[in-house]
Amino acid sequence: MEEGRAERRRRTEAPSCTQGGARRAGIMTDVHRRFLQLLMTHGVLEERGVRRLQKHCYRVHGRTTAVEELEDFINNINSVLESLYIEIKKGATEDDGRPVYALVNLATTPVSKMASDFAENELDLFRKALELIIDSETGFASSTNILNLVDQLKGKKMRKKEAEQVLQKFVQNKWLIEKEGEFTLHSRAILEMEQYIRETYPDAVKTCNICHSLLIQGQSCETCGIRMHLPCVAKYFQSAPEPRCPHCNDYWPHEIPEVFNPDKEREAGTSKANKKPSRSRQH
Amino acid sequence: MLQKPRNRGRPNTQAERERDWARGAAEEAPSTSRGAGGSQEARGTSSQGGRRAEASPEVGPRSQQQLELKVAELVQFLLIKDQKKIPIKRTDIVKHVIGDYKDIFPDLLKLAAERLEYVFGYKLVELEPKSNTYILINTLEPVEEDAEVRGDQGTPTTGLLMIVLGLIFMKGNTIKETEVWDFLRRLGVYPTKKHLVFGDPKKLITEEFVRQRYLEYRRIPHTDPVDYEFQWGPRTNLETSKMKVLKFVAKVHNQDPKDWPAQYCEALADEEARARPETGGPTPSS
Repeated sequence: MEEGRAERRRRTEAPSCTQGGARRAGIMTDVHRRFLQLLMTHGVLEERGVRRLQKHCYRVHGRTTAVEELEDFINNINSVLESLYIEIKKGATEDDGRPVYALVNLATTPVSKMASDFAENELDLFRKALELIIDSETGFASSTNILNLVDQLKGKKMRKKEAEQVLQKFVQNKWLIEKEGEFTLHSRAILEMEQYIRETYPDAVKTCNICHSLLIQGQSCETCGIRMHLPCVAKYFQSAPEPRCPHCNDYWPHEIPEVFNPDKEREAGTSKANKKPSRSRQH
Repeated sequence: MLQKPRNRGRPNTQAERERDWARGAAEEAPSTSRGAGGSQEARGTSSQGGRRAEASPEVGPRSQQQLELKVAELVQFLLIKDQKKIPIKRTDIVKHVIGDYKDIFPDLLKLAAERLEYVFGYKLVELEPKSNTYILINTLEPVEEDAEVRGDQGTPTTGLLMIVLGLIFMKGNTIKETEVWDFLRRLGVYPTKKHLVFGDPKKLITEEFVRQRYLEYRRIPHTDPVDYEFQWGPRTNLETSKMKVLKFVAKVHNQDPKDWPAQYCEALADEEARARPETGGPTPSS
């Protein structure tokens, strides 16, 4: 079969044109394979961790040659992953703009990766929480509101006590974040499910005026209603003496956060785990 | 750029498909069951304008993109299933992923196996000849430092498994269950007592490791009280070797593998047998 031959060629030789047209797939070496294997053990990983992982893989395979620039390294792998309809996607945490990476599925629907870890009723609970989060003004859904929906779940009957534990499982597996009894989507969920969310809730979905990506948490203009991610606000208003709405030019009434600086954090020696993020309702 | 399956005017299908999935996930050890909906999806998409395969009459009117998507689904399915270390049955593959593409199942599986090996470094192998169940073997050697950069805990149970495998091999490839517990008791592991790391050791050894095909667990006939015996399972022979296990045992005792001449000879013979060219790859028995 023609494809089989192309596959075999790709494995043994230098990159060649695939049948899909002009795209050139990169080469996979054991460095890239180990990287992928280990990356898959993380649902989502911060850029710092990704760089560490990359260096580790080079070291293991005895490559003393210069470690390839991360962006090129990842693009190379993504060109190979393309035909498998998956990619290493880069995003940022919505609260402080940390760059994060996740291996996401491009071709399938919603909760396929979750589907292997959770039961039918648990998946439905997630779906209900997701809907509440998307419909909310703040991007957060209260524990109470989510738990009140347990009777409507598909599958085996679930009690509220059990549902509380399931929600904690979602937090542990990085699908949800909890802050003061309220839940929002983890960056992992946003990266994996953005497509699905946009398709399934086209009317309720919010997007950022600056980067045009899915928006769950952010700031909004009180006059015209446009929204922006906190890190997008930070970048946009970075050197502005007087912050004004990019759409209606009205005064921007919210506190402008700082742009995420990885070096500053390393100096300060604080880790994200130790810091307690301040909860600011910005809507 | 990449066309993804879309819901074309069938508002319920997505919900149905999700239910099939979730049901599939609930029914058995986790699966990314997509049911027949998966293949329907793909066909729906590509009618949008995928490229048509000119060259292969035997696959019928399916576009190259559809085939690619099918292989992609299969790769993901195998990866996820293998994560749980449960051998993957061919019937499950056909049921949850292949669907209408059954006629080209062997080709799809072969393509998926090639991608798995080239991209991820996992080799798809049949557990035993003609068993129609598969596992993934890592072609990369795990390294101690991997543990520092992993996102999961790895498996803490591996230590216990290695000990049991060592016991079995050193005792001549078969050991009675009572002997296993006699040994493990000395390490503070009891069949009836909950263990901090291993949880339920009896369940782990007699059920989980057996299900994952690392161990064989058979009742010894005519024993009273009933006793069982352990042997290596098919997965063990694929993932490790007698020599590797002997080296592990030697390391634990701070000795040299050659200090056990009988086992060393056996391990050497096993190494030689492995070095002989394989008679076939992971070709599915159609």
